[in-house]
This record gives sequence, structure tokens and C-alpha cells, in this order.
Amino acid sequence: MTSESTDLEGARGTDRSDAVGTDAGLESGTVDDPATREREEPALAVEGLSKTFGSGDKAVAAVEDVSFSVAPGEVIGLLGPNGAGKTTTIKSILGLLLPDEGAVRIHGIDVYDRPRAAYDHVDAMLEGARNDYWRLTVRENLRYFAAIRGRNPNALADRHEELLERLDLADRADTPVRELSRGMKQKVSLASVLAGDVSVAFLDEPTLGLDVESSLTLRRELVRLADERGLTLVVSSHDMDVIEAVCDRVVIMNEGRVVVDDTVENLLAAFETQGYRLTVRGADESTLAALRERFDVTDVERLEDRTRFAVAADSETFYRLTDALEDHGLELVAVDTVQPDLEDAFVELTGGDGTGAGSDDRDPERGTDDIGGGTR
Amino acid sequence: MSVDSRSGRTGGYYHLLRAVIVRDLLIWIRYPVNAGMRLFINLLFFGMLLYGGTLLAGQAMADSLEGLIVGYFLWSLATGAYSGIVNDIQAEAGWGTLERHFVTPFGFGPVVLAKTVAIVFRTFLTSAVVLAAMLLATGTRLDLHLVTVVPVATLAIASTLGLGLAMGGLSVLYKRISSVVNLLGFAFVGLISAPVFDVPWLAALPLVQGSALLQLAMRSGTRLWEFDPAALAVLVATAVGYLALGYAVFGLATRRARRLGVLGDY
Repeated sequence: MTSESTDLEGARGTDRSDAVGTDAGLESGTVDDPATREREEPALAVEGLSKTFGSGDKAVAAVEDVSFSVAPGEVIGLLGPNGAGKTTTIKSILGLLLPDEGAVRIHGIDVYDRPRAAYDHVDAMLEGARNDYWRLTVRENLRYFAAIRGRNPNALADRHEELLERLDLADRADTPVRELSRGMKQKVSLASVLAGDVSVAFLDEPTLGLDVESSLTLRRELVRLADERGLTLVVSSHDMDVIEAVCDRVVIMNEGRVVVDDTVENLLAAFETQGYRLTVRGADESTLAALRERFDVTDVERLEDRTRFAVAADSETFYRLTDALEDHGLELVAVDTVQPDLEDAFVELTGGDGTGAGSDDRDPERGTDDIGGGTR
Repeated sequence: MSVDSRSGRTGGYYHLLRAVIVRDLLIWIRYPVNAGMRLFINLLFFGMLLYGGTLLAGQAMADSLEGLIVGYFLWSLATGAYSGIVNDIQAEAGWGTLERHFVTPFGFGPVVLAKTVAIVFRTFLTSAVVLAAMLLATGTRLDLHLVTVVPVATLAIASTLGLGLAMGGLSVLYKRISSVVNLLGFAFVGLISAPVFDVPWLAALPLVQGSALLQLAMRSGTRLWEFDPAALAVLVATAVGYLALGYAVFGLATRRARRLGVLGDY
């Protein structure tokens, strides 16, 4: 967590995340044995990443001092509104974009000093469905991307079959990708990324364009693959349900900086301020004004003889509120609990509308707030 | 896959090269109209050249037919290799697969070089068809000593591959530069027919020395070991020099593209 990050209780909610400190591993690169070091280091460590596009008056700081780390086998969600700097961050981590400052290590290997060694562990699905060869069959794609990752495709044939089974692609293994539906193309992209036997994968909008059923299948398989194979995943998605279902932790970016780095569990807990929607009878303006002075009353609606309003309150405040209603002689007609989800938390943290969690770039040549998938 | 459970490196450059060649051939075959039209237009162009030349020059054209066929064969090879690598890089950028070739344990450079080998391999196949058709159509006989022709032709087009790599790199950086790419392709005609025996310094230009030696090999039957070592040295030097220069420009251009964040955009 950076100094500007929102402190959400300062604790990480899961065992896996407990092992992950933002700075963990960055200073511990002193282990001599590479194999030991690879096991002990975070799967991904990002420190002080900064990138500015343009210069002078036209300079746009795309990312500023971004730091976070990901433990082996952890699945994190990278969120932020359009223009938050997520794509710039991912591309910088992969060395596809050269940052002005900062260091990135994959299993302890510096991406900028020893890119080939680092790339042995990592692959990325950057552009959704358009990430493989549509004229090749599904199986041909898997074999090709395995080979260019330094693997003998024949040696991985069984794993490829298993992957195809898992993603419901086995029946279409010998079909050219261009003949598949958009959802299946998306799955082929994912399969081709995993075909190279990587330990760290970046998935940009993995469920984009999928119908509900396909999205659920993919979500389930992502969780299973990550758990069974100890795969480390960095997932950027507009779909908050995917993030909530798949990720252990979320890193939320806004205006080029990390504003939150915490577990999904903690994030939801921190925003679970027990919002309530109350319906009362007998409230006039003066009574409402009195309540507003003591409580966080919002969204007031007049409904014939009743009044409905929302209150952000924890349990203790809620009891004080009911006492106050009684003191003012109001009749409590109904109470609904408002359960915040990750999207509510995201909107609250970024001050946005919750629609910009996927790909983005703050490239001045394209203007700001450009969704990455629409750059070509 | 956790670090411990990964299978690790089970493949090497052989698997890389085989995969890249197979992919290149499969994609070429699976755009059948494009592949067929390219062959057809290549032959049509030769037919027009032959017909027009015969009308204008008569017997003189017939006397120089062998030279025309060898030159056209080399032009077909050179443009195929040159445009092949430029088109491939542009297509990969458009498909969103270019960046995946960057993130490999082989490194971007070796993968791109493997692509050039694949393109040369395919270009030899298609140009061999064009050559066979030209020989059959005109009833001409040429000396096709493979141990001589293949190395000389490969070294000749290596310089154009260098130009292709440079242009490919610039297209990654500046995107739409097809007019420059096409113009340079036309310049190959002049380079192939350059009078290197009269103006020796022309041998330093791409294709020129290779063209001269290929004419000797295919028309006069000169074997590889019968060439003047100095002439072969010039051929090798231009091949390696332009290829290295093109590779360096490609490396600088892609580095600049990474700096600007436009590597995969098209």
C-alpha cells in the first residue's frame, strides 16, 4: 500500500494475502540459489513504477509511484476508472512499455535487466479475443504459443487436452478460431496464454463479450486453475462480479496511483457501513432536519403519508436512530438493509460511476479515458 | 502453474523455428485467394513483361530471355521476402499478437529472425513455382545447381530482409508507411539490373552483387566454389551488413515504440 492508499484496517483478510506485503521480497533478493529465490520471492513485485507520456505542457502522468506485490498462487484484481493507468501499469510490468522509473520483478527476476529469464514465467491476454491466430485451429494456436515460449508442444500435449476439456473447447479443438463464437474465441485466448505452462498470467477483460453462462464457466475454471496449479493471476475487468468471485485481493488505481491495495473481504467489510433504508410515518420537515443533524440521512422520498430515506449506520448507530425515531414520535413502517458490493466500494473509492474498471490508457495521443480495447 | 510444478523449458530453437515455419505456411494456405492471386499476378506480370519486350525489342529480347528469367526470379524472391516481413509485422500488430512475441523467453529479436527464416522458406517455395512456370512457358533451360543457387539467392535476398526488418520496425513506430514500403520494393528492379561489372561500387548496394552472381550461376553454370572469393566476400558482407543494419533499426524502432507505448497499437 502506498502512503496515499486508503487504509482499510491495515490487515489482509486471507492467509495467502497475509504473506503479501507491498514491499515484501523487493529487498530480499540476496538468496543465491535461483530456484530457492524463485520460490521465496513474490510472484510479482512492482516498486515505484512511474510513466509520463509527452513533455512540457502536454505531459500526462499515466502512472505515478505504483507499488504492489503478488504472492505465488494469489489472484488479484486490478481495477480503476478509465484513465486510471491500469493498462500502462500492466504493459510496464511486462516490459512492453518502458517506464521512466521503477522496478518490476517476476519471481525475483528483474524484468528490465533479465527480460528473457522473467518472460519464462509470464504471459498475458492483453486484447481479449484478438490475441491469437484466427486462421489457425484452437489446437494449432496452443501448440504455437507453447513453442514460442520455449516448450516442446508434444511434451505438453496432455496438458493442452486437459486445458481444452476444462474450458469446454475439446470438441472444437480442430476448428479454426475464426469459426467460433466470440465467447469461445475469448476462451481460446485464455487457453493459448496458459498453454505455455506459465506461472504468472495477466488477463485483461477475460470475460468480455461472454454470455452469462460462459462467464460463469470461465470464472469457475479460473478459480480452479489458480487453486490447483498455483497459478498467479492479475485480472483486469469491468465485471465486478468476476473480480469478487475470482480475486483474493484488489488493487484499485485512480489517476495513475494505487488508492487501495487490500483483500476483497476487507474492502467489502470496510464499506459495510450497514446502510439502511427506512420507511416511517409522521415525519415532517423539521423532524427530518433534526435527524439530519445527528445522522447521515440521504435519498429522502415522500410517499403519500410515509417518508423513505437511507441512512449509513453501523449497528450501534442504528439503535440510536430507532431511539431518535421514537423520541420524535415517528412510526417505523419498514427497514431494509442495503448491502454494498464491490462495485459500490469501487465507486466510493474512486468517486466514479463504476463503469471504468477495465482496460484503459492515459495516452495523450488518444485523449484521455480511452478504453484499451478500442485503440485500433 | 506454480514455479515448482511447471514443466520448465522443454523446447528450444528447433521447436521455435519449426512452429514459426508451420504457422507461416498454414496462414499462407488459409488465405488461399491471397496466396493464389499473388502467384497469378507474379506470372501475369512476367507474361506482360515478356510480351511487351518481344514487341519492342524482338530478337534482342529473345537473346536476353535467360537474364530476364533469372532477374525476375530474384525480384520475386526479394519482394516476397521484403514485403513478407513488413506485412507480417504489421499484421501481427493488427491482430494483437505482436506483443505476445515480445514476451517470450527467446526474446523478441530471435523470434523475429525465426519469422524471417520462415518467410524466406515460403518465398523460395512460391518463387520456385514462378521459376518453373517461366521456364516451361518459354522453353528456356537454366542451370539449377541447388548447392550454388540456394546459397547465392539466400545471401542476395538477405540484404532485402534487412530492409524489410528496418521498414517493419518503422511501421511499428509510425504505423502507416505503406507508400514508402512499396516505393522501396520498386527500387529492387533497378538494383537487380544494376551494371555492377561496369560500376564496381554498386556492389555495395543491396541485391546488386547477389544478382550478378546468380546470373553467372544460373546462366553460365558457375559453381559456388568457382566464384572469385572476393566477389563472394562482397556478397556475404552486404548480406550480413544490411541484415545487421536492418535488425539494429528494428531494435531501435521497437525500443522507441516501447518508450512511447505504441508497440502493439495499429
